[in-house]
Amino acid sequence: MPDTNRQIQEMLVDFADALRDGCIPAFLKSLTREEAQRIASSDEFWNAAQVVRVINSVGFADKAVTPNLSLFLSRVDAKIASRLKKTKSLTKVKHSVYPPSCFRKKAGGPLAKTERNDKSV
Amino acid sequence: MDRRLRNALQGLTDPDIERRRRAMEPFERATFDNFKKILYHHLGNETECEDILEDVYADIWENPEHLRNVYSEKQLIRTVYLYYMRKRLREVYRRMNRHLHLSQKDLSDLVAPDLGILEVMSQLELRHVLRRLLNRLKNRERRAIELWMQGLSNRAIANDLKTTVGAVKMLEFRTILKLRAMFCDYCNED
Repeated sequence: MPDTNRQIQEMLVDFADALRDGCIPAFLKSLTREEAQRIASSDEFWNAAQVVRVINSVGFADKAVTPNLSLFLSRVDAKIASRLKKTKSLTKVKHSVYPPSCFRKKAGGPLAKTERNDKSV
Repeated sequence: MDRRLRNALQGLTDPDIERRRRAMEPFERATFDNFKKILYHHLGNETECEDILEDVYADIWENPEHLRNVYSEKQLIRTVYLYYMRKRLREVYRRMNRHLHLSQKDLSDLVAPDLGILEVMSQLELRHVLRRLLNRLKNRERRAIELWMQGLSNRAIANDLKTTVGAVKMLEFRTILKLRAMFCDYCNED
């Protein structure tokens, strides 16, 4: 059963372990209301958290590896392309006076897409 | 600053979208390692680092204005952290904050704080300083931190130091506070 009434030193060490092991969300979820209040009011915790980040970075940041940088580059490029597309489509919508032909306004209702009647041959 | 990085930065701040896009690749190649290390300080998780970094680079491409007057690598890291990374880091955790007891401000301070020692010092400098400070600690304190840095659990550290897990947690906490005071002294001396 998890400890639900941890002291500051225990929470700091748990935070350090979570940071080291890459599971900060699990640490954040484990905090009870009282523990969260204790953290908020403790200067020691905040001071120590900064040093924990330093130790973690010196100990582990170099060990973080990326197997394939070119794969990452293509991911970024795809993201940029999608943003570019989004910007272009937004500009188009802004400039167009009438809504596209596939949309028509229902009486008293929002814009709705019309049903396609053309059947495949 | 490296010539390739400087050229890439120039390309990034160009008003032409396609030129900016072409400048992204050399920029990413030159900065990826450093940026990833910075994010790793806060997340401790490689996959999350990459996901956030993807958004950070796209943000930089979309709005490179803040990088216009950057002339050194240190300045670049600081600017990117302040204007691009911090926002993304906070977004990641804001989404889960509905189920947490921490206030929004405490959460932000914990996962994406303001500029600290990390963003001011280079990795090499940090390693050098930490090594010096660790040497000034008592044997038992140094051993606990070194074992932690090797990735050992608190139980394993307690076994090594022949003590209890609770005592190890207390020892680590006190040692970290001691290191914090030493860091402050070092920064003031500097």
